[in-house]
Amino acid sequence: MNISGILVVVPPARIEGATRALNALPGVEVHHTEPTTGRIVVVQEAETVDQEVAALSRIKALSGVMLAEMVYHVFDETPPEWDAIPADMAAS
Amino acid sequence: MELSRRNFLKSGVAAATAMAVGIPISRIASVAAAETEQDWRWDKGVCRFCGVGCGIMIATQDGKIVATKGDPDAPVNRGLNCVKGYFNGKILYGKDRLTQPLMRMTDGRFDKKGKFAPVTWDQAFDEMAIQFKKAYEEKGPTGIGVIGSGQWLIQEGYAMTKLMKAGFRSNNIDPNARNCMASAVAAFMQVFGIDEPPGNYDDIEYTDTVVAWGANMAEAHPVLWQRVIDRRLGHADMKVVNITTLRNMTSEGSDLEIIIKPNTDTALLNYLAREIIHRDEVNQAFVDAHCVFCAGPTDIGYGMRATDKFAFEAEKDIQAREIEVTLTRDEAIGLGLDPEQVHTIKQANAATADRHWLVGFEDFKTGVEPYTLDFVAELAKGDAEESLDAFKAKLVRLADLYADPKRKMVSFWTMGFNQHVRGTWVNEQIYSVHLLLGKIAEPGNSPFSLTGQPSACGTAREVGTFSHRLPADMVVNIAKHRDITEQTWKLPPKTLNPKPGSHITKIMRDLEDGSMSWVWVQVNNPFQHVANANHWLKAARENDNFIVVSDAYPSISAKVADLILPVAMIFEKWGGYGNAERRTQLWREQVPPPGEARSDLWQILEFSKRITLAEVWKDQAIPGLKDEGFEEGKLPDVMASAQEMGYQPEMTLYEALFETPENKAFAWPDPVAKGHDNHTVKHLGVDWFVEKALFEEYAAFGRGHHHDLAPFDVYYQDDVRGLRWPVVDGKETPWRFNAKYDPYVKNGEIEFYGGAMKELVTGNLTGPTTEEKTKFPGKAKIFFRPYAAPVESPDGNYDLWLCTGRLLEHWHTGTMTRRVPELHRAMPAAVLDMNEKDAEERGLKRQDTVWIESRRGKIKAVIETTGRNRPPRGYSFMAFFDESVFVNKLCIDATCPISKEEDFKKTAIKIYKV
Ligand code: SF4
Repeated sequence: MNISGILVVVPPARIEGATRALNALPGVEVHHTEPTTGRIVVVQEAETVDQEVAALSRIKALSGVMLAEMVYHVFDETPPEWDAIPADMAAS
Repeated sequence: MELSRRNFLKSGVAAATAMAVGIPISRIASVAAAETEQDWRWDKGVCRFCGVGCGIMIATQDGKIVATKGDPDAPVNRGLNCVKGYFNGKILYGKDRLTQPLMRMTDGRFDKKGKFAPVTWDQAFDEMAIQFKKAYEEKGPTGIGVIGSGQWLIQEGYAMTKLMKAGFRSNNIDPNARNCMASAVAAFMQVFGIDEPPGNYDDIEYTDTVVAWGANMAEAHPVLWQRVIDRRLGHADMKVVNITTLRNMTSEGSDLEIIIKPNTDTALLNYLAREIIHRDEVNQAFVDAHCVFCAGPTDIGYGMRATDKFAFEAEKDIQAREIEVTLTRDEAIGLGLDPEQVHTIKQANAATADRHWLVGFEDFKTGVEPYTLDFVAELAKGDAEESLDAFKAKLVRLADLYADPKRKMVSFWTMGFNQHVRGTWVNEQIYSVHLLLGKIAEPGNSPFSLTGQPSACGTAREVGTFSHRLPADMVVNIAKHRDITEQTWKLPPKTLNPKPGSHITKIMRDLEDGSMSWVWVQVNNPFQHVANANHWLKAARENDNFIVVSDAYPSISAKVADLILPVAMIFEKWGGYGNAERRTQLWREQVPPPGEARSDLWQILEFSKRITLAEVWKDQAIPGLKDEGFEEGKLPDVMASAQEMGYQPEMTLYEALFETPENKAFAWPDPVAKGHDNHTVKHLGVDWFVEKALFEEYAAFGRGHHHDLAPFDVYYQDDVRGLRWPVVDGKETPWRFNAKYDPYVKNGEIEFYGGAMKELVTGNLTGPTTEEKTKFPGKAKIFFRPYAAPVESPDGNYDLWLCTGRLLEHWHTGTMTRRVPELHRAMPAAVLDMNEKDAEERGLKRQDTVWIESRRGKIKAVIETTGRNRPPRGYSFMAFFDESVFVNKLCIDATCPISKEEDFKKTAIKIYKV
């Protein structure tokens, strides 16, 4: 499980529509908006980082979005695994 | 995770995100943020990926990184990160992270043909030392080499430079930054006499215009690009221009996209210079007061070997151009020669390509005169489907922007300029344009060379890890510089070797021809990133040599090595980086390295314990050494004078170079650590603060000499987010050479005070005409450089251009980013981007798997015609992150003859269906 905080910027006049569009994306929630500047903070939750990166691309592709960048990232809790010797190397 | 806890965490993340970017939030929300983070330890760090140098905050708990965020207080990125920055914490935890030394063994002994098996650190270093001594005894200091990195920490690069140059007396140390910024460096030295940019990133917020030349900033420097986009939104007059050989993501944020043919940037810059003169927009007062004009030889070759002894049969026709070349029609016109005549030129100045001399303004004017709109438009138009008139209109528009005296101009460039057979020239030419206009060294007016790697500036350049350099812009072949360095390092006179060593491509060639047989690679992946890889892979595995690779993951270089040393990564060690705007940033060790992995610094110091002074400070053969004060081909025995200085023959290099009384005075533990650990110190078993001592020792070179760094501890203060050197009296220098901002300016408002190469003979465009030298302190040089065709262009057989570069999601050879499996899946395999019509013409369509073949090798890849890079007809692009699509097997290892940086942007290929 990965949670990230993303800053989205849209023209102030379009903030309401953008908020609706963002909330409609799977795993995306709008938490804070600043109508005067068009800045929106969304939280993105995803099973994998893959889904998060894809979601960021979807946010960037929304009409009116001028900027969408990750600001905050909490990592999943899977412990790291260590392989002493990668299989492909031992065989080489 | 239960729902309520997760919701709470999300509110916390949202609140913390809002706070990071300065959006006001309710008190309840800020409580949620605080509670989410309450058990975490936060500390500042620097992004490990690109040369932008974004600040990040790192949260750790129980020895692991649990969260990262863009640092809201970092002036570079103000809370933002790009996708790569976001993975700084992730890259430590790849499944195949190397955690113990591995050596090729058979029956419990080292065997070059053996399989990798785990060994102890002692076994590893013992074998490494045996092999080192074998190579060193047989071939001397030129028989060993180190390939380092623009990702080396400042202290690592410094320690290795000292070990190689002072200890082993070898200049065969060169960073991968050679292939990223050497052309920028050479031009800085030639034009200003001092390395690194006058301006800084803040120029973006002061300017009216950004022109990206051969720099896909939207993908390669995303956070900086974001600042450009912000400025464009907030400043009505702002114009953004993308000059490129293919349509890319940067085009999307630009007002003007100019698609040019490879290498024609040199012609385009001459067109701009000519326009500025013809429109009478030369800033005469500025030029008279602060500039001189220069020219140099044009018969300089392409940095290839001067023999085809090692070339594949198919390479030989191109190789021959290193000896002699027939000028193209356009080259002849650009040199002011009769294009109807055949001009065959011997490459007489291949070894002296950096020679130059003073000329007059009239000579310069004569030089650029052939570069008319008609000539340059015909030559440079890169998109066959664009009309000549439309293209001409764009060039005029570009000239309008540059020449407008009221308009502030920022020019950014990276690899399109630097990785170029005339990379130094084209860097010089952009300065020529800015200098003619006086648009330099003040807020908003800035020719700015971007860097690819996080410490290409801070380590590779400032520390001087190149084969010809010493710290603080000094070089090995100037006696005075060697003297200063020998005194600072407390070395006997004539310890240092005056003969520049092998640059990175030459280290590979040395391995191939057997003149080098021991190489240590740190923090980079040269067997993947050096062009013409088939030669070097074979040399590494089949010749009698010993290759050590320090790496975190099994990269291609690790796999071709004989010994792999597992390393600590970025936040597993204390360190520092310097970004492209001269900003030095230091961080603390945040988490312990896994298993037996240790910092590169620890490895350098431990290895230095295995070599004694008697083994290195005796007389040494250096083939080709001819410097004054030295016996030909020899470095003297300096042991006698060393003994007078208190050294003993049986002392180790560790004792002589590193564990000095001065360094031991920096005690560990140190309050600056605030409870953070130091595994390097712990495993060395010492009580001195190695990273601090080496930083201070290194900083002594630059303080008072235009390169002042602040004291080590200052960079760790909570209110400091890196400082742009020179840091004088506690103050950083945002704009150099300008008296308003730069305390080193002593004469007038503008002074280009860099001291290198500021005394020259005078001549005309064809050569010097006097022997008398003129001094011009405080001035910058405006170079005339003609158009030169690429060494290799498409022909009837290899009929397509191939350009290589990088992508947003991946970084360079992908050793780290490919380890984040999700990131890899987002952009799984490198594809060949090409024009749909070119594909059709060859009976191909997108997603077809094809063979791509050059004179140097062939690889298989999938083609893409609708990707984010849209090449014009005749042109194709491939990223180089993917080791399974090994594009550098195709690329030519030609370099800029001045900078020795490879041209990865122009290889002729053919493609056909598998
Ligand atoms: S722009 Fe560069 S330094 Fe900044 S976060 Fe991205 S990769 Fe890191």
